[in-house]
Amino acid sequence: MMNLKLSILLILAITLFSCKENHEEYHNIIDKIEANSMAYKKDSTFSNNQFEISELTTVIDNDPHFYIKNRKSEIESYACSECHNKPVSQLQSEDLGKKAHWDIKLIHADDKTMSCLSCHKDNDMDNLHSITGGKIDFNLSYQLCAQCHNKEVKDWKGGAHGKNISGWQTSRVSKLCVECHNPHNPSFEKRWPARYNTQMVEQRK
Amino acid sequence: MNKEIKKWFSLNLGNKKQNNCGCSDSKCGDQAMVKNKDGVAQVFDVNMDRRQAFKKLTAGLMIGAGAVSTSCSVVSGEKSKEKSEIEWEEYFKGNYKLMTDEEKNNTVDRLVRSYELRTGSKINISSKDAEKDVLFGYAFNISKCQGYMDCVNACVEENNQDRASQMQYIRIHEMNDGKGLNFGEADDTYYHEVPAAGHFYMGTQCFHCDNPPCVEVCPVQATWKEKDGIVVIDYDWCIGCRYCMAACPYDGRRFNWSTPEIPEQEVNKNQHYLGNRLRKKGVMEKCTFCIQRSRAGDNPACVEACPTGSRIFGNLLDPESEIRWVLENKKVFRLKEDLGTEPKFWYFMD
Repeated sequence: MMNLKLSILLILAITLFSCKENHEEYHNIIDKIEANSMAYKKDSTFSNNQFEISELTTVIDNDPHFYIKNRKSEIESYACSECHNKPVSQLQSEDLGKKAHWDIKLIHADDKTMSCLSCHKDNDMDNLHSITGGKIDFNLSYQLCAQCHNKEVKDWKGGAHGKNISGWQTSRVSKLCVECHNPHNPSFEKRWPARYNTQMVEQRK
Repeated sequence: MNKEIKKWFSLNLGNKKQNNCGCSDSKCGDQAMVKNKDGVAQVFDVNMDRRQAFKKLTAGLMIGAGAVSTSCSVVSGEKSKEKSEIEWEEYFKGNYKLMTDEEKNNTVDRLVRSYELRTGSKINISSKDAEKDVLFGYAFNISKCQGYMDCVNACVEENNQDRASQMQYIRIHEMNDGKGLNFGEADDTYYHEVPAAGHFYMGTQCFHCDNPPCVEVCPVQATWKEKDGIVVIDYDWCIGCRYCMAACPYDGRRFNWSTPEIPEQEVNKNQHYLGNRLRKKGVMEKCTFCIQRSRAGDNPACVEACPTGSRIFGNLLDPESEIRWVLENKKVFRLKEDLGTEPKFWYFMD
């Protein structure tokens, strides 16, 4: 009888006091994340060692703010009004020859959906224009894309779409829509993969 | 009359008949039944005569003396002396997990110096520890991956992998539309224009599980999970038994069947002790989430190289990170959830 009590006590003691190396035990990773998540609000000031704040635009309509490169400085022929000071029809009749983007072709959706005037207004070429005629700055051109591609832009603002060009630690700098998708011909061509595997390694068999 | 009658019901305990007739002293008449020796007994408890024993002892002593003399001799050059000194100390160092910061710095210095002695060029090995409040997570967008394999190239260059055996940590699988994630029918050695019609692409690599089976089975504790969630290997402690390779359900681990050789100019000089430093023959290696980059605040090479942005990396403990947004807003899943390995690599679709 005494032996039985002793052994039960021993088993109890072992189960209570035996501890695994890892003292924090969670049922799954999600529980662990929720338990350890940083409780404080991150410092929202800009911190990045690759880019200067002056060369970036802030995407304010997202919380938390993130950044994109200034688009206007990247466009070679900005400001458009330097050439486009007259209506396009007049420019076409003047027979100026093959200047700048004379051969631009629009291969974006179909002609029932998109034409040049879907995004550009003849008398204000320095800005983009929305469906309702409102002005959209070239630096914030994602607002134009969002009119039809709202789902993708929402994903982009969250971080699931597009490319992050800053590290994981610093303030996020993403690529703008047009840095990957040419707005006049957005589809991607097929290409060859970057590498050809000539060896089927032991591991894969 | 010692007939060898093999009874069908007898156990094979490894008892062999041993013929000890090579000695001049002992009797040759009786054939003693000697058990097969195991472990230490195999080395120490051997029957041999004085002559043999003497021969073996002197051979061992000569080797030891040779080793000592190369490091202490007056005649041999400074370089080879330093080399053997470094080898001696590296041989006797302890497990990285138990090292103090000073010992870590010492071993890193020794490795840097030995590379310099061998090749003449300088490398930079870091032994940076995990930062506080960081737990790395990874997400992969299956809709976006087009099978370009830019990630594989970047990984190979960044992590100093063997070129001859085409060692790759990342696999990109070309799967058939409509068949789901069927790895058995997938092709990961394709070479044609991508994306091919009727197929979709997704990649696998070490998933840095939060409950890693590979860590549990390692007999020498050469692999472990760091505080920031990265599962690492100490290449100098690994004995190459490949038990972890058998335990990993995701084919995340790779073995060096031969000495890895990288052309000198392609060696990535920014290394981490637990990451992309040069490995040797007979040790395991795997994806380390580019520990040399991620602990410095950069994204891993694969994330950086992907042109479509299918790869997302970040700190799971930062509620404002992209990886957290993906986990909270996208329909994510992981492979082999029912195994309970808790991988920190999620898949999702647009």
